[in-house]
Amino acid sequence: MSDQTNGTPERFAIGISFGNTSSSIARLNPEGKAEVIANEEGDRQIPSVLSYIDGEEYHGTQAKAQLVRNSKNTVAYFRDYLGKDFKSIDPTPCHNSAHPQPSDSTVAFSVVDTTSETPSTVTVSEVATRHLRRLKQSASDYLGKDVNAAVITVPTDFSDAQREALTASAKAAGLEVLQLIHEPVAAALAYDARPEATVADKLIVVADLGGTRSDAAVIACRGGMYTILATAHDYELGGATLDQIVIDHFAKEFVKKHKTDPRENARGLAKLKLEGEAARKTLSLGTNASLSIESLADGIDFSSTINRTRYELLSNKVFAQFTSLIEQVVKKAELDVLDIDEVIFSGGASHTPKIAQMARNIFSEKTKVLAPSTLTGALNPSELAPRGAAIQASLIQEFEQEDIEQSIHPMVTATPHLKNAIGVEFTSGEATEFQSLLNTETALPARRVAQYDVPAAGGDVLIRVCEGVREIKVTKPEPKPKEEKAEDEDDSDFDSDDEEEEIREVVWKTEKPVAELAVKGVKAGSKVELMVHVNADLGLQVTAREVGGQNAVRGVVQAA
Amino acid sequence: PSLPEGWTAEKDFKAVGTLSAATQRNLEPVGPHFLAHARRKRHHRTFSEDERI
Repeated sequence: MSDQTNGTPERFAIGISFGNTSSSIARLNPEGKAEVIANEEGDRQIPSVLSYIDGEEYHGTQAKAQLVRNSKNTVAYFRDYLGKDFKSIDPTPCHNSAHPQPSDSTVAFSVVDTTSETPSTVTVSEVATRHLRRLKQSASDYLGKDVNAAVITVPTDFSDAQREALTASAKAAGLEVLQLIHEPVAAALAYDARPEATVADKLIVVADLGGTRSDAAVIACRGGMYTILATAHDYELGGATLDQIVIDHFAKEFVKKHKTDPRENARGLAKLKLEGEAARKTLSLGTNASLSIESLADGIDFSSTINRTRYELLSNKVFAQFTSLIEQVVKKAELDVLDIDEVIFSGGASHTPKIAQMARNIFSEKTKVLAPSTLTGALNPSELAPRGAAIQASLIQEFEQEDIEQSIHPMVTATPHLKNAIGVEFTSGEATEFQSLLNTETALPARRVAQYDVPAAGGDVLIRVCEGVREIKVTKPEPKPKEEKAEDEDDSDFDSDDEEEEIREVVWKTEKPVAELAVKGVKAGSKVELMVHVNADLGLQVTAREVGGQNAVRGVVQAA
Repeated sequence: PSLPEGWTAEKDFKAVGTLSAATQRNLEPVGPHFLAHARRKRHHRTFSEDERI
């Protein structure tokens, strides 16, 4: 190694997203932007598939093509089997490739991976190692440097045994795992680490719609730190579910014409799967997709097209399952759709325009839906997890392993979070209004500074620091049309749909006062700056002063 | 902010309540802001001490 100085090789880390269906590798380029690396075949989404012919190993797209002719010696959909025993796995996705088998306490595949005729038993850990070795090789070839470390993304429900198995597999492939990070958090980081992004307090839903499973998570982002509030999983929903709709559509058409079902023959089904998936992906980009398969069944060639409208009609039910997963996770976090500031679509199936559009309808106007079809500035959903991993890898690759371990230790991550928001109460006449400064679920200790306008006349100002709670105010529409109806004439098309629906909005209520401060003799038109610092023990320090003024009012509130 | 009427307190500050109990949750150990947080926590530094370094 050329980089070998004083005995220890230099660490060179990348980000890896390792999925059941596909995997990606990414790095931070010299300009500081995360970038997904294509392998030697030019793929950025590299199928997590390994195939063997005459002792030779094929990987990625090449291996995936072997699902038609060499399915028994092709291993796919193995990520979720890592670190599990045979009884707890769902072998369904592997029906059309090498079948998983029990082997001691783990899962294995029986494939002919040498030139000899007899199949060998390869454990899932070994399969993962071979897969990661190929990914490492692709990254090393591209970067011209030996990649020897990585940050790998994992689902939020990955158990410790699965984490250990993955770390061991990576180690065997020559990759030091610096850290395993959660997929939804990696997606959030991919957006937040862009130079144009600003650190803001927000609640995010990450919808990770994969190939064979879909996951959703609600994340509180406070001061650039992330806390997962709730997660939901669907292990039977994903791009494959949508592929099945396209497959069935074409199969029925074939049956009508030729009186034989290509799905009943293993090879025919494999061909339909491969081409159906391609057609489904085309429909995410264009409004029309064609499919042509040579010798689909009984030696008959088949060629047909499908348009997006037809596909969306057929898939409506499945699309609704995706959006209900999102609704479910928001509910699980005991939140309302009105609380959500951003919805991040991640994973391959997120390219489907209709899913994002349907999600758009669930949330309020203010919620940003980050998907290619709803926001032009959105990042490629397939690249979010690897990008996030690459950013994290670049942040920690200089650290000693011991430093990383200490930093991600539960002693550090277990943190008190604010139950209620802290803010300032405004009184104007009868009405009181609450403006939050530190949001709910902010990790402690935390500090926020804000400036407030003073009453027009200036003079002495009272600041009431309070705890506030968010309530959803539901206004039932009046049975009779409102008086303003005449004015709203132009909006009537839109209103007619909403007429029976109730109006729901977020209202902040003061829960209890915490401290009062007086800032005296403030000039008219000036501003008052307020700083609130909350300690981990819930004690807080409050400072207020006129902007530009010298005299600050300070106080300490002890913890309860 | 609103105008006070006959409001007095020592040094213009009055503590009138305490915060409700916090919920214990796990932070995700990801991103630059978390790493800064971890550094402060491990070395028992405060925000202002951290800024000076």
